[in-house]
Amino acid sequence: MGIIPPVALVAALALKSLYFLDYVHVICGGTWTGFDLYMGLVMTRILRFLDVPARVEVSKRLTPTTFFIIPSLAAVAITSGIYLAQQLGKFNLSDPWILAAGVVVIVLTAQGFGVFLPNGLRIFLELAKARPDGALIAKLTMRNIHLAASQAVFQVVIILIMAHLAIY
Amino acid sequence: MNTSALLAVFLFAGALLIVFGWVYRGATKSMAKGELSNEGIRILRWGLLGHVAIFVVLAITAFLT
Repeated sequence: MGIIPPVALVAALALKSLYFLDYVHVICGGTWTGFDLYMGLVMTRILRFLDVPARVEVSKRLTPTTFFIIPSLAAVAITSGIYLAQQLGKFNLSDPWILAAGVVVIVLTAQGFGVFLPNGLRIFLELAKARPDGALIAKLTMRNIHLAASQAVFQVVIILIMAHLAIY
Repeated sequence: MNTSALLAVFLFAGALLIVFGWVYRGATKSMAKGELSNEGIRILRWGLLGHVAIFVVLAITAFLT
């Protein structure tokens, strides 16, 4: 499933369709934000009241589902956004709104590569062990869920910036 | 060809490889201690392959703009 967003981006660029490119950017960015909001606002409340074995069971199913799709959506939302800004003549690095978007994107990317990805891999490896450490899996899963909540805040900010760029 | 887009993809792919390399090193240590079976390494390789596939498709976009 994670391969669909970049393939859609390739199709949009190959067809030279600004409308399709805009669609790919909005659907990927919106879905990525939706995932993070759901994880941060809903899953945190659910997991907080579960015991460690139950959290491990959730993690076993949640981690493989989100491992490819979220980085794929994030990468395509950012890449298509840059192409879109270039095609609309808005990719001006002296524009404070573009710079602000760049700063938020750097923060989101650093969190993705620095925390989400290694944590996801460590959860996979722990689950593959003969005697998985349930407490460690639960801790890493909760860390990812809490980080998703902080990503959601940054994404609300970037949507504010995008709304400004779309109008002005 | 969009050179800056291609460079960005290589930069992100490099970061990805560093993260995978770091986790892979930990996994091989766990394997040496007998805590982890070949299954863990196999999962890591599939994970890496999946992410590399996403970056390869993204790199193609640099040639379309």
